[in-house]
Amino acid sequence: MEKIADRIVEAYIGEYASGKSEVSLNRALSLLESGRSPVTLVDFDLVEPFYTLRPIKKELEKKGLQVIAWETKKTMGLGEAGTLLKPEMRWALRRAGDVIFDVGYGIGGAVKLRLVEDGLDGGEMKIFVVTNIARPITGSVEDIVEYVGTLGPVDGLINNSHLGDDTDVEIIQEGARVVAEAAKRMGLPVIRTTVDIRLSDKIGRTDTMGNPVSYLKRHMNRSFW
Amino acid sequence: MADKPIQGEKRVFMTGNEVVAWAALAAEADIMYGYPITPQNEVMHYWTRLAPKYGKRFLQTEDEISAGFTTCGGVLAGKRAFTATAGPGNTLMQESMSMAEMMRIPTVLVVQQRGGPSTATVIYSQQEVTMTCYGGNGEGLRIVYSTGSHQELYDYTIKAFNTAWKYRFPTFVLGDGYQAKMRESLYLYDPALKGIKMETTTPYLGLEGMPGVDRDPSHLRNTYNTEEELYEVVSDLVAAYEKIAPEVVEYQTFNTDDAEVIIIAHGVVTRAAQAAVKTLRSQGLKVGHFRPVTLRPFAAQQLRDIVKKAKKLVVVESAQGQLMKLVKDAIYGETVPIEGYLKPGQGITGEEIVEYIKKGM
Repeated sequence: MEKIADRIVEAYIGEYASGKSEVSLNRALSLLESGRSPVTLVDFDLVEPFYTLRPIKKELEKKGLQVIAWETKKTMGLGEAGTLLKPEMRWALRRAGDVIFDVGYGIGGAVKLRLVEDGLDGGEMKIFVVTNIARPITGSVEDIVEYVGTLGPVDGLINNSHLGDDTDVEIIQEGARVVAEAAKRMGLPVIRTTVDIRLSDKIGRTDTMGNPVSYLKRHMNRSFW
Repeated sequence: MADKPIQGEKRVFMTGNEVVAWAALAAEADIMYGYPITPQNEVMHYWTRLAPKYGKRFLQTEDEISAGFTTCGGVLAGKRAFTATAGPGNTLMQESMSMAEMMRIPTVLVVQQRGGPSTATVIYSQQEVTMTCYGGNGEGLRIVYSTGSHQELYDYTIKAFNTAWKYRFPTFVLGDGYQAKMRESLYLYDPALKGIKMETTTPYLGLEGMPGVDRDPSHLRNTYNTEEELYEVVSDLVAAYEKIAPEVVEYQTFNTDDAEVIIIAHGVVTRAAQAAVKTLRSQGLKVGHFRPVTLRPFAAQQLRDIVKKAKKLVVVESAQGQLMKLVKDAIYGETVPIEGYLKPGQGITGEEIVEYIKKGM
């Protein structure tokens, strides 16, 4: 199998409702916007697909992304909410270009990356844990270190700390500090901090720990079931 | 073992099911009995992740019939016990909840409504109102709180334990799959910080002393020999319930004083109703909203007083008239016309309520 030089393959894992979908779809869109093509986004939620990319698949495709995802109404008979591997998901890395995986939550989701051909053993995939310290179960350095320890192979952390519509700069920066300390204890890099673009005037291009800041245009608030 | 799970007050971001688990922790619940069913599974998932850190217990039972009865058992043993369910699971729990009514067992049951009847859909409806308020083979001697936000899920789950143990009627927190899965911020707090003292729990069985000598026997019954005996028992239960109802009843009103049209809605639909009232009022239309917070006991007298001056009531619910039945029962005799905007199993937006109301005005 030929490895395509320089292409980006990333899997976004993490705690339930930590922001994996919003972060991964924005990452895919920003790769596209920077001129890279093709870019494929994979809805790899095989755990609990009630809040996934499915409802906005067509909208994202109109922007030029390739999106591999079930349409919910096509999953009739495939389990309660269609948590079945779509064949294109298994073979996603055989496509050209960048591939971003939005993975189901927890260790349950992370282990399913084994189903991706050339995924865990292909040498290309980087696995990032999306973390929001406003979720008390991953709210402290100790909690994050303990949690990430259960997830299997991890290449970096992402600080996605926020309070939804009530987000302020304080929670983002506090998140940056906590995630940085947790990352340090695990010998992992902090890849970036992700921030709702509506706060872009309140936080610059790096956060208080010097991590790069990426802006998110929220899509997932329109994506419920 | 860690100290108190929530110290002080903290702003957080989570899903509704998680809120319930954290609230039960904050309320010092001792044990959760549970059985999985969508959309409430995360209540159990988060409780079992947190339980070991705080010395709490959990038992997964073989089904919801057992989950309901083991909850009764936990309470009889003097523990602050609770369970959670939805849809067909709620149906199965009616047997145990009827027993709780008969024996005045202070159970706490969190219901996250999904589509009905039967298995239907896994996410959302308001179709378990009748069952949660009047299910089983009883007289509906229950207390039911219908929440509309994560903050309320937190506040009322804590309150449910106190209401149950103070008044000794099975108490329910009625949410739905949207509230269960959606994400928003709220404040978690230590109840003591707000002056909330948790009601003491006492066992019904295994009491100290010799029965008949040191104390009365604790003779627990849910069955009686004669019809006359039963009539007295049920009359006493009803009297006790009616006595405490005025203390327990809760409701909210929005612009109802001079309203010509009053929207009646509960649970998560109150958000759409409140938004609709804001829009309609800004357009000069005299519309208000009555929101029952306790569906049982229902704020009947209060609603009666409010509708006397109205020209029309519009009941808005994600069910085929379950809330409407409660309303009609509450205001029987009033001649105000009642319409229903009924969408069983479907979400309702503020915009569609506005459109419906304007068409009729």
